Amino acid sequence: MSALQIMFDALSLGSLYALGALGIALIFGVMRLVNFAHGDVIAFCVFALLWPSVDAIAIVFAGNLPWFLLIPFVLVMGAGLSVLCEFVVFRRFRNTNPATMMIASFALGFVIRYFLLMLFSSRPKSISLLPELSQPVTVLGARIPLLQLITILVTVGVLVGLTVFLRRTRFGLEMRAAAENFTMARMLGVRANRVIMVAFALSGALAGAIALILGSQTGTANIVMGANVMLMAFIATVIGGMGSLAGAVLAGFLLGASATLLQALLPPEARAFRDAFVYGAVILVLIFRPQGILSARGMKERV
Amino acid sequence: MKKLMTMLAATTCLAGPALADDERIVVGFATAQTGFMQGYDKPAEDAAMIRIKEINEAGGLLGKQIEVVTADTKTDMAEGAKAGLSVVDQGADLVVVSCDYDFGAPAALAAESLGVISFFICAESVKAGIQGVGPNSFSASVLAAVQGATMAEWSYKQKNARTYYRLLDTWTEYNKGICDGFDWMLPQLPEAKLVGEDTFLNEDASIAAQISRIKALPEEPDAIMLCSMMPGFVSAVKQIRAAGINSMLLNGSGADGSYWMSAVPDLSNFFVPAQGSVFGDDPNPDVNAFVKKYEETTGAPPATQYTFPGYVMIDVWAKAVERAGTTETAAVVAELEKMNAEPTLFGPRTFTPELHHQNKAEYRIIGTENGKPAVVDSWTISEPIPLEALMK
Repeated sequence: MSALQIMFDALSLGSLYALGALGIALIFGVMRLVNFAHGDVIAFCVFALLWPSVDAIAIVFAGNLPWFLLIPFVLVMGAGLSVLCEFVVFRRFRNTNPATMMIASFALGFVIRYFLLMLFSSRPKSISLLPELSQPVTVLGARIPLLQLITILVTVGVLVGLTVFLRRTRFGLEMRAAAENFTMARMLGVRANRVIMVAFALSGALAGAIALILGSQTGTANIVMGANVMLMAFIATVIGGMGSLAGAVLAGFLLGASATLLQALLPPEARAFRDAFVYGAVILVLIFRPQGILSARGMKERV
Repeated sequence: MKKLMTMLAATTCLAGPALADDERIVVGFATAQTGFMQGYDKPAEDAAMIRIKEINEAGGLLGKQIEVVTADTKTDMAEGAKAGLSVVDQGADLVVVSCDYDFGAPAALAAESLGVISFFICAESVKAGIQGVGPNSFSASVLAAVQGATMAEWSYKQKNARTYYRLLDTWTEYNKGICDGFDWMLPQLPEAKLVGEDTFLNEDASIAAQISRIKALPEEPDAIMLCSMMPGFVSAVKQIRAAGINSMLLNGSGADGSYWMSAVPDLSNFFVPAQGSVFGDDPNPDVNAFVKKYEETTGAPPATQYTFPGYVMIDVWAKAVERAGTTETAAVVAELEKMNAEPTLFGPRTFTPELHHQNKAEYRIIGTENGKPAVVDSWTISEPIPLEALMK
C-alpha cells in the first residue's frame, strides 16, 4: 500500500476523532466538565433525520432534504439539544464538584439514549445520507472516497474558523478568559451563562457534523453509534492536555493515525488486537507526560 | 393425635408435583420481548405461533391443545436465567430460548438443570446445543459455518470464482463461525486461492485501511467473503463499493433481507444464503404460502429468513412428541436424535447424539442486482462439516 494512501486514511480517521475531541475539549475548557453525553448527542442528530418508528426500515423524513438544508438542519439540531442540556441539567450543577457533574453527564447520556430507544427501538436502521459523497476521487495518485476528503477539509475549516473566532473576536476572548479562570473572568464582566451556552452550542454543532460524517460513511443509524467516537474523543482530550483545544485536536489526529497505521502494518494474527496496541500507546503517553502533550496554561501541577 | 398425624401424612400424598402436569402441553418462550434481541426473537416466535396454531386447529398434539407461556428475558443474561425458571414453573414441556447462544444460554441452562428440553429459536453457533448447554438442548437453525462453506462452494462451482479475499468481523462467534466454514471448504476447492485476509471491528467507523489493502492487490479478487452481521456489515459493504471495488460480495444469512439496502442504493453482485426466500419467489410454493400467511398474521412479510427456524422448531418438536407419545424429555430427545434428513418446510433436518444442530443444509442463494434481491439458485454443500472443524 502506498504511503500516500495510508496517510490519507490516517488523516480522515484522525479528523473524525479530532472533531469529537474538539467537542469535548470546548466544554471542558469553560466548565471543567467532561460531557459524557456527547456520544448520545451524536446519535440523536442522526435520528433527528428519521421519523420515529420501531420498524426494521427507517422512515426518512428530514433526511430527504437537499444538502444545503440538511446540513444546517443537523447542525442546528445538535446545537439545540446541547443548549437544552445546558439549560435543563448542567446549569443546576454549576457550582458542584467535577465528579458530580461527570456523573450528571453520564445520566443525561443515558436519558438521551433510552429516549431514542423508546422512539426507534434498538435495531440499527439503514439510511442513505448524502450518497453523492460515496464516489471515489483521485488526489495525488491516491484513491480516496469524496466523503473522507470532505471530512479532512471540514476539520481543517472548523479548526481555522474556531481559531479565528477564539483569537480575533470579543466573544472568543471572553471564552478563553472563562476557560483560564472562570471566577476572575466573571468579576471582569464576562457573562458566564452566555459564554457557556455558546460553548455548548458549538460543541453540539460539532456533534452534528460528526453525525453527518458517520451517518454518510456507515449508512446506519444506531443508538450506540456515538459511543466509539466519544471514547476516542475523551481519550484524545486527556492525552492532548485537558483544557487545550490544540492539544485535543493534535491527539485526535495522532489516535486516528496510529489506529490506521497499526491496521495497515500489523501482521494478520495481531490485527484483531489493534486497539490494544493503540491504548497501550495511550498508557505510555500518560506515564511519561501525565499533563498531556500540549497542556493548557495553568493546568500544570505547581508544587 | 396419632390418627390426626396419619391423616395429615396421607393428604400430603395428594399434593402432586407442580411441574409434570400430564393434562396440558405447554410451550414456554423464555425469549426477549424487550431490548435489542427482541428484533430477532419476535419474528421467529411469530412463526412458531403460526405452527402452533396450525397444530391446534388440526386437533392438537397428542389430542391436547398446545398452550403457550412466556417470560421476558429483557435481553439481559441474568433475567434470562430467571425467565427460563419461570416458564418451567408455569409447566413448560419445551423451553424456547433466544436467537443467540450468549443471550439464550442462561435460560437454556436453567431448563437443562431442571431436565426440560430447550430449543434455541435461531442460534447459529455450535455451542447452542450439547456443546454449550447440555444433552437436552437443541437449535432450530443451521450452523453459521454451513453458510460460509455454502457461499465458498457455490461461488466456486456456479460463478467460477477462483481468487478469494477473507474479511472477518471479529465481533461475535456467529461471524467467526461463517469464516470457519469458509476456511474448511476453501482447501477442498482445487483451483481456489486465498489472496489475502483482514479483520475489522463491527463498530469501526471506517475500514479505510482494510480497503486500501484490498486495493493494493495486483488484481481485484473474484470474491470477497465478508463474515459480518448487522450493523457493521452494511457500513463495510457501503465503503467497499464506494472505493470502487466490484468483486462479488459473499455474506452469511445475517445479511438476508432488504430492510438495510437503502444504505447502499443500487447494490449489485451481492450474494447471501437463506433457508427460504422472504421475497415471495421461493421455488417451493409452500414457502411462499407461508410468507403470505405470516404477512396476514403479523401485518408485514418476514424481514429476514430468521423467522423460518421458529416454524421448523415447533414442527420437529411436535413430530418427536407424537412419535414418542409423551412430552417427557428423554423420550422426545431420543426421537429427535433419530431424525435423519427429516423433511420440513425449509429443507431436511438431521439431529444426532453428537450434534443437535445442522452441519449441512439446503440453502437458497439470494442475489442482489441493482438493489433488488431475488432467489438465483439453491445449494447444499457436498458433505456435512465435521465436528472438529466446527469446534476450532
